[in-house]
Amino acid sequence: MNKSSDDPLNKVRGPVGSVEPDASNDDLDDDFRLVALAQQGNLGSYDALVTRHRGRIFAMIRNMIHQEADAWDLSQEVFIKAWNALPRFEARARFSTWLYRIAHNVVYDWTRKRKIESAGEFNDEIFERERIDSGSFTTPSGGESPDEMIATGELREKIEAAIAKLSAEHREVVILKDVQGLAYKEIAVVMDCSIGTVMSRLFYARQKLQTMLKHEYESR
Amino acid sequence: MNTNHDEHRLALWLDDELQGEELAAAEACFGSDPDSLAAREETRRWRAMIAAAIPANKEPPYAEFFNGRIARAIRETAPEPMPVTVRRVSWNAVLYPLAACIGMAFTFLLGVKTSDHRPDLVDIDVSGAPKAIPVDRILYTPESGVRAEWFTSLDASATVIVLDGVDAIPDSMDFSATAATPPPRDIDATAGTEPEGISDL
Repeated sequence: MNKSSDDPLNKVRGPVGSVEPDASNDDLDDDFRLVALAQQGNLGSYDALVTRHRGRIFAMIRNMIHQEADAWDLSQEVFIKAWNALPRFEARARFSTWLYRIAHNVVYDWTRKRKIESAGEFNDEIFERERIDSGSFTTPSGGESPDEMIATGELREKIEAAIAKLSAEHREVVILKDVQGLAYKEIAVVMDCSIGTVMSRLFYARQKLQTMLKHEYESR
Repeated sequence: MNTNHDEHRLALWLDDELQGEELAAAEACFGSDPDSLAAREETRRWRAMIAAAIPANKEPPYAEFFNGRIARAIRETAPEPMPVTVRRVSWNAVLYPLAACIGMAFTFLLGVKTSDHRPDLVDIDVSGAPKAIPVDRILYTPESGVRAEWFTSLDASATVIVLDGVDAIPDSMDFSATAATPPPRDIDATAGTEPEGISDL
């Protein structure tokens, strides 16, 4: 990238709000430079942004819906929607927070659509694990590959199973706070609620999880 | 003392979200309380356990394909750029509209002129045509010997016909027999009537 002294990109303001524990200011500056270029139609810069953020968005969605293939598709949808909405991005929040917000909407739309589609079509057959193709991408999380099982470990499975039992709001707040490391303020932006609501949801979600994971938690 | 504010500050302090002066103020408030310190340690331990077990970052499978598909979707949805062409002013561009205007004006004038000179309207001689003759009204009566007279009033918008010589109507005549009443089969037996036993429900 060419950065001359009168380069308009140098005037791009930094983010307002707290800073992610693992995100340096350089990373944030790079994000804003890439965003500014992408807003001018530079697809290469947007591709770099996708590469920087795809892992977090995919992980967040996967933890929310527990289906890898659908998480892959929904993550794509997030980045395509983000591109279409990019002209309206004003750098008042961090780019990653904005992406999480889009991911939140995409996941909720998907969940709502699935509820409507499955309404009144209760079919016992879909719950019989033997009938599910083990090679399918949409195999439930219980059917992860052996390599992955070893890599992630038993604890991860138990935590994931416990998180899956939470309500959608409680699950999301735990994922955003304890997994993704977002600040309360950012979670409030992503979930479109007050900080007090975030605090309350997180308190109850942690309490439920700690009850479900009592044995694992106390043995540590 | 603002309890809400303190609860907010405590939650932020427990999750290590405070910095600078806010952190110093919270430390002064909660840092000496063993329960608060223990709660903060618990929160840190919890976060560490979750973070160690569940990765915050997981590359999607076929990451390059992932990016490629996004780029393709963006290109497909992007509007095609309009080709920029230099427009030259040619005589044709001026002559065609001008010829069309002249043609329209000529057609209009021709239409106006021909409509003013329609020979079929002015050349017909109607002097020999039959003329309408006013005739008196003829009143027909139902019986012989009955005379009818009629009176009309334009102001009242009414016409009265007087029949003279009609026999008097006897008192024994049953008018109900002449009234038009529908036969029983034409009446809907269920309309407007209470169904049997409905009050018992």
